[in-house]
This record gives sequence, structure tokens and C-alpha cells, in this order.
Amino acid sequence: MSTDALDRHAPAQSGIDRALGLLDGFREHIEHVQPTLTGLPVLWVRRERIVEILRHLKAPPASFSMLYDLSAVDERLRAHRDGLPAADFTVFYHLLSVDRNEDLIIKVALTGGDPNLPSVTRVFANANWYEREIWDLFGITATGHPHLQRLLMPPTWHGHPLRKDYPARATEFDPYTLTVEGQQTEQEALKFEPEAWGMQRERDGSEFMFLNLGPNHPSAHGAFRIVLQLDGEEIIDCVPDIGYHHRGAEKMAERQTWHSFIPYTDRIDYTGGVMNNLPYVLAVEKLAGIEVPDRVKTVRVMMAEMFRISSHLLFLGTYLQDLGAMSPVFYSFTDRQRAYKVIEGITGFRMHPAWYRIGGLAQDLPVGWQQLVQEFLDWMPPRLREYELAMMRNALVRERTRHVAAFTTTEALEWGVTGPNLRATGCNFDLRKQRPYSGYENFDFEVPLGQHGDVFDRGQLRIEEMRQSLRIIQQCVDHMPAGDYKADHPLTTPPPRERMLQHIETLITHFLQVSWGPVLKPGESLQMVEATKGINSYYLTSDGNNMSYRTRIRTPSFPHLQQIPSLMRGGFVPDMIAHLGSIDFVMADVDR
Amino acid sequence: MPYRLTRAEEEQESSDRYPMGRRQSSEEYVKSQLERNVFTGKLSDVLNSAVNWGRKNSLWPYNFGLSCCYVEMTTAFTSPHDIARFGSEVIRASPRQADFMVIAGTCFIKMAPVIQQLYDQMLEPKWVISMGSCANSGGMYDIYSVVQGVDKFLPVDVYVAGCPPRPEAFLQALQLLQDSIQEERRPLSWVVGDQGVYKAEMGSQREQKRSQRIEATELRTPDKL
Ligand code: SF4
Repeated sequence: MSTDALDRHAPAQSGIDRALGLLDGFREHIEHVQPTLTGLPVLWVRRERIVEILRHLKAPPASFSMLYDLSAVDERLRAHRDGLPAADFTVFYHLLSVDRNEDLIIKVALTGGDPNLPSVTRVFANANWYEREIWDLFGITATGHPHLQRLLMPPTWHGHPLRKDYPARATEFDPYTLTVEGQQTEQEALKFEPEAWGMQRERDGSEFMFLNLGPNHPSAHGAFRIVLQLDGEEIIDCVPDIGYHHRGAEKMAERQTWHSFIPYTDRIDYTGGVMNNLPYVLAVEKLAGIEVPDRVKTVRVMMAEMFRISSHLLFLGTYLQDLGAMSPVFYSFTDRQRAYKVIEGITGFRMHPAWYRIGGLAQDLPVGWQQLVQEFLDWMPPRLREYELAMMRNALVRERTRHVAAFTTTEALEWGVTGPNLRATGCNFDLRKQRPYSGYENFDFEVPLGQHGDVFDRGQLRIEEMRQSLRIIQQCVDHMPAGDYKADHPLTTPPPRERMLQHIETLITHFLQVSWGPVLKPGESLQMVEATKGINSYYLTSDGNNMSYRTRIRTPSFPHLQQIPSLMRGGFVPDMIAHLGSIDFVMADVDR
Repeated sequence: MPYRLTRAEEEQESSDRYPMGRRQSSEEYVKSQLERNVFTGKLSDVLNSAVNWGRKNSLWPYNFGLSCCYVEMTTAFTSPHDIARFGSEVIRASPRQADFMVIAGTCFIKMAPVIQQLYDQMLEPKWVISMGSCANSGGMYDIYSVVQGVDKFLPVDVYVAGCPPRPEAFLQALQLLQDSIQEERRPLSWVVGDQGVYKAEMGSQREQKRSQRIEATELRTPDKL
């Protein structure tokens, strides 16, 4: 390992010492301390005591109050394991302490044909879906889980798609056909059985009504289904059902090159455009050891903030429409059209530009971009004022949203809620401030906060966020650094064209790097960003190949949907619709 | 113009696989009608045209979205693109009231039976637009959970290319659908004529526009706006 690589491991050292200190009582259960490029301490612990360890870490003094992520890796084909404990599968728990702004990753090695480990749902409520997901996709059993069923794949599915021996392509299977009988079987399998969820069909002699909302419902924002147990208007309980939008993005990453996976990231949070490229390319750059020029950083920030605005505008229109206001969506889409004019002018594409590259950007800013962006910056502020005057100060909207579907910071952290939904509860946690990346530390902006964590605050907060994004973009326009739009590094992809035409050697190198893509050294890296809907991160595992060995995509909307039942029990149906509107989710950001 | 016939009542030997109904190429339907009887042929032609004109100018879309493409579809519904110009602004949330369904987005194996059910709930006459590469062919998602094209089980009338297609492309697809509806022949009543649906084969846009497209020799460079 070069000294340079060792340096990049260094920042985690103090964190490792602290983490080991916190786990003093469990010393003999810690198997290994893994050096990674994640910047976080990564500890391997024995499976037997995982529940106690997590419980200990959640309580003070460690206070890792949020289970940020939980997923698995199929280790069976991994060549470079360099001293890692023997494992067929690894399950990892990413814990986050908002108070101390610190993280810790705990890994558990599993061996044998029937991988299993104790469920941690008793410690972290939001482990529920994550454990169902690793059962569904990896076949790892969480013993003691209250309802270990498939989550993303249909109930009739066979096999566990993220296992390395499971084929990735649809074209490797028989072509899809749908028969009358098959359709009936599938629909039958989707039928909701209250008993399976421990629900009563009646109470005191009066029957409950079970209402199936979705998977296609105008207010469900895509293919999302939720079954409600109703007593009149009141929601006794509800069960969200997801997986109608599972595009296998994580499996896709295992067969696309580092470079050609970029377009797939755009489609994770599909209203977020290049905002999705950012965590991915930053994580790849950590693996490759690329430091990008300031101009690249600033342009990336500018375009990501453009998409934050465009996504929040979409939110605003649909949120108000779900409350029953018909016209705002026409206004907000008019503004989005303006935003797209800028985005298209600069990147050449509207929704999915896939414009960031490993080590830079697809191209430089076009001539005359300042004026284009400035027009948008001048257009927006009066519009935002208008939204506030017409809607957020509107007595009807206020009555309809104040104190509806409210939750506290503690509840939010328990369920893994991040982003604007967390900040609406008054919790000041914005990664752009707390852990600045891509040069956010150089910008002057504020983090808007809410107070009550209700539907109103979640709406109002996003209007404020758009103002701050405009401020950031203004600073980009005023102080855009000069310089190159690509890093001067051998792994920058695609490499600068001028280097190609020197002699045959440079031509061949260029050709290989463009056709095969860059080969990255074995290692693991992680980048979290404050995306449009909350914290989005990519956990990349490289096995020294031109493709990733495992790409874990942690999306914010997944926990946001999981929180719904705990919040809506005892609420009313229209309040739930208002809440769905206020979460701001897209199903691709849930199911990936 | 060549036509394609779909019989209303299902023949017994037809399989139980979706899409239902037998499709076959048909001779020049309109001409054969004319030849059979000049006067009634003309009359039914006028009647058909009038009915089709009504149908094509009040197409009510079914509010149905699967993924990213749906965002561009809604963009077409809102003011800057204003779908009302083409008579399709009445968006219905119930399949029973809708005339056409836009498969805007990726068609997932978990979702396919649901889509089929929603399609079955729509009343005739009904049409399907497949919007975006995912719906057309699976697009960039050749992956275990995705159906490689919605036409594996639904009869598609218009395909829109793009990932996602621009709202303008969606509006063009709507107009193409209107053109094809104008040429369609459906039974005017359950006692008049045979009960088949004759759809005109409109030909691919790619072929029609090729000569015009290859004339472009200079493309704008991306360094200017
Ligand atoms: S075609 Fe492209 S934009 Fe449309 S749903 Fe598929 S991935 Fe999304």
C-alpha cells in the first residue's frame, strides 16, 4: 500500500479509537478492525452478541440513535479479502449519531449454506424492512423477525436476486409471458390477508373495512400500495407494500463498468437528476484517489442545487394538489420548465443528464451560461413569494396541514428519517454543513428548520430550501473558478482527448480506458450527500475490477415510507393522503 | 391502406395468453366495403369518419404512471405544454372512464398483472401508448425484475422513443394516435357489419422521416447555448 493510500485511511483513526472505547465491554467479540476509504470506523463483530452490541451503542453514552443503513454483501466470489474474517455473507449496520455527527459501521460475518443472524428489530424499529430486504435479496434469515416476508420481489418469486449465483439479466430467463391463469394467481398472491399481519377483522361485533390503496392511485405518487384497516374514517392500522418499482439497480452495478453505471444513478431518485451522480462519482473518486479541480466542484454544486429546486417545485405542486388545490401544479411546472431550460442548456438533457464523470464533468460550461442561470435566479424569488402568499398563508391550507401527521425528532431518528423531513422537526442536521463535500464549506447559506414536524412545516421548509439553493447558485455564478473541467489523473474517465493523439501508446491507453473503463484498486468507500429527499449514499466495494463488486445504494425515501404506519395509526384517511404528499418520495428512490 | 383486424369475440382455439384476441392482416377494408355497395359503403364511410372524429378529439387519458417517464407525461399535462389543445385534458383516475392508457415508465414483473387488470377494466374503444424505452423494450433495464417491453402482454398502438421522451414527443404520439383512430373501422353498432376492429397500419415514423433526417450534415457543438 502506498503512503498516499495510508494517508487516506488516517482520518478514521481517531474514530476507531473512540468506537473501540465505546465497545470496551465487548472487546472479545470484536473480530477485526477493517481499514477502508469510507472515512468511518468499520468493526467486525461476532454474530452471537450483535443485538446486545447494537443496544449498547444505541444507548448513551454512545448514542448512535439512528440505524442509517443495513444491508449485506455476498462474499463468496470476492478475491481480495485481505485479512477479513472468513465469510460467505456479510451483514453490515451503519449507525449514525446526529448529536455527535459521528458514524460507525458494524459488520457481521456469516458462513454456511443457511446464513442467519438474530433480528435487531427490537433495538431499531426501522431494521424491520431492511431485514426483510436482505431476506428477499440475499436469503439471509433474521431470526426473531416479526414478519419475515419478501419485500421487493413478488410473493411468488423464487430465488434471491442479489446472490452472486443468481442471473442478472431478464434475457437470461425465458421471455416473459402472462396468461389468464398466471394473472389470477399473481393477483391472488397479492391479496391482503389481515390475519397474516396479526390484524383483527372486527372489534366489538362491528367489522373493520380493509381498503386497498394502490399500487396505482393518483395520490400514491407512483407504484406504491398501502392497505388500510379502517373503522369509519379512522385508520386503525396500515401496511405499506413496496417493490412495484424494483429495477435491480444494485445488481446492475455489478455488471456495468464504473463509468457506465453513472446513467443508472440518475434514475434512482428520478426527480433529482445529477444530484444522484454526485454521491456515486465522489465515492468512486475516493476509491481512485482523484482530487478534482475547484471548477468541477463548483459546477457540480450548481447543477445539483438546480435539481434540488426542480425537485422541490415538483414536490410543491403535487403536495398542494394532494391537499385539493388544483392550480399550484400549473404554476410550479411552469417554473420547472424554466429550470429545465437552464439544465438542458448546460447539460443537454432534461431529466437524466448523467453529466458528472469520474474525475470531472462531461463537458465544460457552454458560452453564455451565466446569463442563462441569472435569468432563472431573477425569475424565481417573486414566484416563491407568490407560493407563500397564495398557499402557505392560505387559511384553508393551514387548517388542513397544521398539526397533521406530526412527529418529533426522536421518532424521526428512530425510523431513520433524514433530509427536510427530519429538519422539519427542528433537528439541525444537514450534511452540506455537518460534513461538507464537493466544496459546500465555501458557500454562505443557512439551513432552514421547522418546529412542529407536521405537514405544514414540511411544505414551508422546502420553499425556504429553494431560497437557500438560489443563494448557493448565485454564489456559483458570481465566483465560478476558472480551470479545467476534468482532473489531471490517470483514472479520469473519459480521459482528456488532447492526450490521446500523441503516439500509438497514448492512443491504446485511451482506447482501453474508454472501452473497458477504469480498473480500481480493491477497497471500500462511501459517500453520503444531502440529496433532494434526504441523505442518499453509495457504499462501493471494489474487488480490483472494472466493475463494482457490490454497490449498496441507501436511499432516503425507503425509511420515510416505513415510518407511515407508526405515524398514521389513529389518523384519518385524508390526513394520510396529506402526509403522503408531504413526505416527497418517488418509488424509484424506495425500491431502487 | 393495409389494415389489421382484431375480432371482438374470442375464437375458441385462441390461447389464454395475453394479449387476447386474434390479430390478422386484412385486405383493404374500406375499398372492399365500397365495392360491395357504392351507396351504403359511402354512407358508412361518412358515419365512421364522423364517429372517429369525435373519438379522436376527446381522448381521455388514464392517470397512470410507473416511473420517470410519468414525470414528463405530467409535464405535458400542465400549462407550458397544455395537452388541452388536443382535447385530452380530462384525466381520469378510474380506468372505467378512460379511453387510453399511457404506459409511462418501466413495466415490472410485480406490476404486470396489475397493469393487465387495469387494462381489462377499461371499456372499448381503448388504446395504449407505450412511452419511453423501458415500456417499449425494457430499455436500459435488462434485469431480472423488469418485463422486456409492455407489448409482451398488452397490444400497443403507439411507441414513443426516449429515456424519457420529451413532453413534445408525448404530444406527437397523441397526435399519431389520433391519426390512426381517424382511419380505424369499428362496428357502428352490434347489429351492423361484422364485429371486428380494423386498425390501419400507419407505418413507422422512422422510415417516413429518414430521408429528411439524413439531410442534416452539421450538428451544433455543445460548447454554445
Ligand atoms: S425509459 Fe428512461 S425515463 Fe422512462 S421510465 Fe425508463 S428509465 Fe425512466
